[in-house]
Amino acid sequence: MSSDTDIRKPFLDFAGHNGSYYADVFLKIQKATLGRGHVNVTAMIGSFVWAALRGNWGLFVIGFVIDLITAVNLALVYKYSNAAVENADKAYLVARYEGWSQTHLIGAIVTFVLGRILFGWLADRFYAKQYEKWRTDHSVNNGVEMRRLVLGLLVVALIAPLLLYRTTQFAPDERTCIKQDRALAEGEAVPFKDRFDCFVIGEFPTFIWIDRPDEISYPRDDNGERVIKRTAPSADAPPVSLNTYVSQSIDDGISYLTVFYGFLFDGITNVLRGMLGAITSVFVGTPWPITMAVLLFVAYRTAGPRTAIFVGASLAYLALFGFWQTAMDTMSLVVAASIICVVFGLPLGIWVSKSRRGKAIITPILDVMQTIPSFVYLLPAIAFFSIGKPPGILATVIFAMPPMVRLTALGILQVPENTKEAALAFGANPRQLLTKVELPLAMPSIMTGINQVVMMSLSMVVVAALIGAGGMGYIVTEALENTETGRGVLAGIGIALLAMMIDRVVQKANTQN
Amino acid sequence: MSTEPKRNVVVTRNVWKIFGPRAEEAMAAVRRDNLSKAEVLEEFQAVVGVRDVSIEVGEGEVFCIMGLSGSGKSTLVRHINRLIEPTGGEILINGVDVNGLGAEDLRAMRADKIGMVFQNMALLPHRTVRDNIAFALELRNVDAFTRAELADRVIELVSLQGYGDRLPGDLSGGMQQRVGLARAMAADPDILLMDEPFSALDPLIRRGLQDEFLALSKTMKKTTLFITHDLDEAIRMGSRIAIMKDGEIVQTGTPEEIVTQPADDYVADFVAGISKLKLIFAHSVMRPVEAYEQGGRKLPPIDQCPQADPEDDLDALVGRVVGQDNPIVIMSDNKPVGVVTKDALLRGIQGEV
Repeated sequence: MSSDTDIRKPFLDFAGHNGSYYADVFLKIQKATLGRGHVNVTAMIGSFVWAALRGNWGLFVIGFVIDLITAVNLALVYKYSNAAVENADKAYLVARYEGWSQTHLIGAIVTFVLGRILFGWLADRFYAKQYEKWRTDHSVNNGVEMRRLVLGLLVVALIAPLLLYRTTQFAPDERTCIKQDRALAEGEAVPFKDRFDCFVIGEFPTFIWIDRPDEISYPRDDNGERVIKRTAPSADAPPVSLNTYVSQSIDDGISYLTVFYGFLFDGITNVLRGMLGAITSVFVGTPWPITMAVLLFVAYRTAGPRTAIFVGASLAYLALFGFWQTAMDTMSLVVAASIICVVFGLPLGIWVSKSRRGKAIITPILDVMQTIPSFVYLLPAIAFFSIGKPPGILATVIFAMPPMVRLTALGILQVPENTKEAALAFGANPRQLLTKVELPLAMPSIMTGINQVVMMSLSMVVVAALIGAGGMGYIVTEALENTETGRGVLAGIGIALLAMMIDRVVQKANTQN
Repeated sequence: MSTEPKRNVVVTRNVWKIFGPRAEEAMAAVRRDNLSKAEVLEEFQAVVGVRDVSIEVGEGEVFCIMGLSGSGKSTLVRHINRLIEPTGGEILINGVDVNGLGAEDLRAMRADKIGMVFQNMALLPHRTVRDNIAFALELRNVDAFTRAELADRVIELVSLQGYGDRLPGDLSGGMQQRVGLARAMAADPDILLMDEPFSALDPLIRRGLQDEFLALSKTMKKTTLFITHDLDEAIRMGSRIAIMKDGEIVQTGTPEEIVTQPADDYVADFVAGISKLKLIFAHSVMRPVEAYEQGGRKLPPIDQCPQADPEDDLDALVGRVVGQDNPIVIMSDNKPVGVVTKDALLRGIQGEV
């Protein structure tokens, strides 16, 4: 007998109130004899209140959400039946609202019944998991505590009323609220309910209003020099929102830079254009039979016959559907962008791996670069470099460089400490350590980086067609504008083939090295 | 009798190594108050890696440093080519203070004077065996032709003929460690640092490599610091052994001294499991003839007794005494110098002399 109580003791300690019930259930769970349909009736009735008392916040959320959905549905029933009464003169509206209210009623009942059964079914099983956690960590919630119930009900009180209120009301639109703001500014009286609606259940209210900034322009003076000219806004112009104010300031900053440091951006543009010109002349300027033969040969040598056949088929597709020149255009852009990425990414990666400061500076920049959607890069490219291929390449480089830097750094950091130690023990200096040990051992990682760069360049080059980079992406954007689905699909397939071609070849080349 | 080393090649004087950001502070405190390892850890969050170690390794000697993992033996040996800088003390190689060297001199010393073999081989996987072996030469900008020539010579020494153009990945563990050894010897250094070179190999291969290294070491006469956690290996390889514990050297001596006169319980524990047959010699267990005859016994005529040399080990004595009733007479210059009874022999095998 005593051994039996010993077995049950930890369960009793954990569950506290009504411990013998939970001891039975947990024992059954451990012996795998718990019935499939076992439901905790107390939990089913108590729902989130039970979960709060028992300190299982996962179940609390599940129970609360089930009841909340039920309540919202009921609120909608109320809202639409009211609406049906209000619009009693319009038969079609009455029919519509009554239909809706009926649907929500059924929704409410189904959610409540099924939800509660699910909750009752989950309750003991989740609670047993909580017990297992408690076994290793006694600070895990256990027993029954009123404090937790109060906390849970507080959460319910904060969320439920406002949410239910929101569902029973028709939310005011933004214009109504702006009008209301004006009316308030002019000292008119607005009913409290309207103000509350605008403040809480509509759009997030605009708190901040700022006086318009000075208008800034950069005309030339009599000597032809650019000067800064500020014009104060007229006194009765309405104030602007934070968003408007700051974007205006950013515009001013960018135009300042382009006006006074334009030579810098022009210089970069020219370098890019020159480089691209050289590459394009190789891809586009060479007669197609030669380009095609060379590409096939390269594919065959680096990736073997199977890939070469695939490349041949893809090239044939591009050629037969009239995409040859455009595809070669895109290839030139990809090659140009990839070269720049590698040339700048490799040293940056080495710097990141070697220097604490390098890591501190570069890593956050890379994080930001990788989280920003590719579209957003087009904006600064246009702002500083206008439209065309050079800004397209720049946007692509910014988008595609992070993996190069990261994977280079990763590769170098992964070089085993003892291999480096051995090199040092034989008298390697830092440069020899880098070139003879670290870079060769990091090579697989670096090659993966190059692969990524090429693939990301291709995807970005297509997007960059939006700012006039041309190539295959241009056909797609054009097709989008004119809703020429067929042309778009053909070009899309072409892009996909181009991507697969490059990917296969680069990847095979990697694995074979 | 063991020959006295002519000249000390590697000398460490009171070397200390304390790891941690507050190492200097801890060092000063230890010098002042003679704190223990645990006290330093608690007060300065610093770890004492090497504690006041002074060793002298003579030319051509194989000096074993034995200790369990964490005893500081690897740390100590890395001070010799300054992969680790000491917190206190000095390290002299051929009389030159290693810590006084500039960066370029240090690299030159590492490449020309010291070869190192690592437990995990640490070969470069993308280079052929030959290029791995010639690595130190390449770092010193020796031309490719000379490099290959020198490397091939060493490849022969470690019997890896025909493997020069293979990659290390194609080789077994034992062969890889031969490459490691060859790499350490390629630049013909004066000193070999061997950091548990054979520990990762399986026992048969390990024994084979030990024998080969012993043979090589006899002909090449390289001053060797050999690290191991295995006392058997230390005894096989070392002309002298230093036993380390918690960063300190507990005892230094020849294998026989370590086995027969362990300095403390720690060493005695290690020695307990070691076979003494090859380590203890007749001169240690024999008693003078007079002492034997004191108890009224009479030594039988010498020609009826098994005879042995004072330099014979217990193993040889056991061989002589089997099937005999008379004690062994130890002869030197055709004169009896001592007697070993069966009892003394059995005691000797137990390590009691």
